[in-house]
Amino acid sequence: MMTARVAKVFSEVLGISSDQVNDETSPDNTPQWDSMAAMNLVVAIEDEFDVRLTTAEIVSMRNVAIVRRVLRGKGVADA
Amino acid sequence: MSEPMIGSPGTNASAGETAKGTAIAAKKAWRAHLARGADATSAIRIGVAASFTADTLVPFIGAALLDEKTVPAFTIGPYNQLFQVCLDPAAALGAACDVIVLLWRLEDLMLDEMTGFVAGDATALARARDKLAALTTAIHQLRSAFDGMAVVGVPPYPTGAAANLLALDNAIGALHRTLTGQFVDAMDRIEGVRLVDLDAVQRQIGLTASFDARHWYLYRQPFTDAFLHAAGRQVARIVMASRRAAKKCVVLDADNTLWGGIIGEDGIDGIQIGDEFPGSAYRDFQKLLLAWRSQGVLLALASKNNEADVWEVFDKHSGMVLRREHLSAWQISWAPKAEGIPAIARALNIGTDSLVFIDDNPMEIAYMRDARPEVTSILLPDEPAEIVAAMQALTLFDQLEVTEEDRKRADMMRAERDREVLGAQISHADFLQTLDLKVDLFRARTEDLGRITQLINKTNQFNLTTVRRTLDEVRALASSDDFRVYGLRVTDKFGEYGLTGVVIIAISPDRRRWTIDSLMLSCRVLGRGVEAALVGGLANDARTEGAVELVGSYIPTAKNALCASFLPEQGFSQIGEREWRLALDDAPAILLHITRLDGKSDGDRRDTQFPAAAGE
Repeated sequence: MMTARVAKVFSEVLGISSDQVNDETSPDNTPQWDSMAAMNLVVAIEDEFDVRLTTAEIVSMRNVAIVRRVLRGKGVADA
Repeated sequence: MSEPMIGSPGTNASAGETAKGTAIAAKKAWRAHLARGADATSAIRIGVAASFTADTLVPFIGAALLDEKTVPAFTIGPYNQLFQVCLDPAAALGAACDVIVLLWRLEDLMLDEMTGFVAGDATALARARDKLAALTTAIHQLRSAFDGMAVVGVPPYPTGAAANLLALDNAIGALHRTLTGQFVDAMDRIEGVRLVDLDAVQRQIGLTASFDARHWYLYRQPFTDAFLHAAGRQVARIVMASRRAAKKCVVLDADNTLWGGIIGEDGIDGIQIGDEFPGSAYRDFQKLLLAWRSQGVLLALASKNNEADVWEVFDKHSGMVLRREHLSAWQISWAPKAEGIPAIARALNIGTDSLVFIDDNPMEIAYMRDARPEVTSILLPDEPAEIVAAMQALTLFDQLEVTEEDRKRADMMRAERDREVLGAQISHADFLQTLDLKVDLFRARTEDLGRITQLINKTNQFNLTTVRRTLDEVRALASSDDFRVYGLRVTDKFGEYGLTGVVIIAISPDRRRWTIDSLMLSCRVLGRGVEAALVGGLANDARTEGAVELVGSYIPTAKNALCASFLPEQGFSQIGEREWRLALDDAPAILLHITRLDGKSDGDRRDTQFPAAAGE
């Protein structure tokens, strides 16, 4: 189940509607998710969830499901 | 003697959080702007090229310009190809840019040399200097290929692997100082280049808080949002300073603004101004006001007080840095301050929208904003220790070129008051005779173009066509054979008014018609016969060069009604709805008391005494 917070971050940074955001959303199926957006996503996720991502985590985050798993692993309950 | 200060809540504790919040808000504002598809409406096109990934800087420049109601569109140059951008800006940045921003870091351009320098390689510094010279040459070439504004970054302190900031020999610190010093000197010598000091921005934010090693390794983007936000605002500030007229006068409250306490209640021994806090904080603010004054900002007073009480402080308090003679106008009474605003503006011959009102009282600020929305009203911090920093952060008085006229303006305004005193004593005609007025209409020289551009962009009232131009555009006209760019300098026995008028003439291909493309005069010199001398001088030059007619138009704006009748008053006949013509055989009358000096380009001057006009 997609949480509102995750959907909000991705929809704002990628400029897509939040119901377009799901676990499978990735650079492969979302043209807005370009390298610039990837940089912005890292900053936006860190700001929204008050976490610090490692480079390994950043490199691994190739779809929304992975991002949510990383965040839950950092103790974010509503990711 | 003063009580220890207790930190007011919400000042420093949450400053970091607030900065983060505004950075996020800035990015959101830019995203929202792009989502509206508003790129097409852009007023300014900015090319950004950097030695690092610059994409993340763009939203911050964009948001800061949107805050100033200026809509930019951006082109981002290829990563770390500054030389290519300089050599062929059109190819690298596509569509013609109004502004090109070039940013670089030492470690991106000369990493080997830095490493060598730290390792004690004796040739490393010379090699680094060579690279710097090559970059300087490239920026020179950019200036010849691109006639907009170039904003070039002063490189920040190196970060990451290249830096080793706290190494005991601090070799990188020495290298950075040397190279940035050399670079800044070189850039100062290139006309039309503006520096954006990323080194200063980095100090403001803090080196550690500026650098994100993860983003550097992953994206070749070394900076945090905090740094990018501050850097973006600084770039926008420079862009705005080139496009917007600076405010001309600051109207100051007195009690709890220029000094601590209330003169009417506390008395001259009770107010706080001088060496000891909080008096020292107010004194530092007064020093800042004098610094503004030396940049051409006029100082005025709007105080609810008994006038004698206020002057007692100015004249007698030893702690005051600001003296009565520094003030160009004042309104001291118990009437609402907004009511005094028109009188101040009138006394200084400027529009009320050129005024900035500063007061410590939120009620006064709210009242002024309501009654006089065109005045920029600024609330002084109630924490005295924060006043100077808050006032230094104002960008309202930003000017890229501070001219000799700016530096002397406040003193010239004093001379103006003396003239008015004389004028009140004798009849107008006699007054003009005694003024000993000299008008110098001259072809603009390179060193005049900065001031001329400033007049072109800030003269609102006596401005026939209100065409605004950039320095580069004016420079192009001045060097064209089809145009004449004139400056006008006025002097009388009280002193110099400085360069206070501009005329741009377009000459027809057959050379027989001179068209007044632009004509403006500072209000300070009006009503003394300068207008007639100006037209007489133009007619003279036009005739000498073989022209037979002088044509001008008046384009009305919300502010230039003052010159609506200028052309007919100077003997022009109407030939179209807005067009007027002066046949050059109808020589305009030159008033007796005007001496015209013809400045020649070699600096020699030839006095020309015009014949007396009949009836003068």
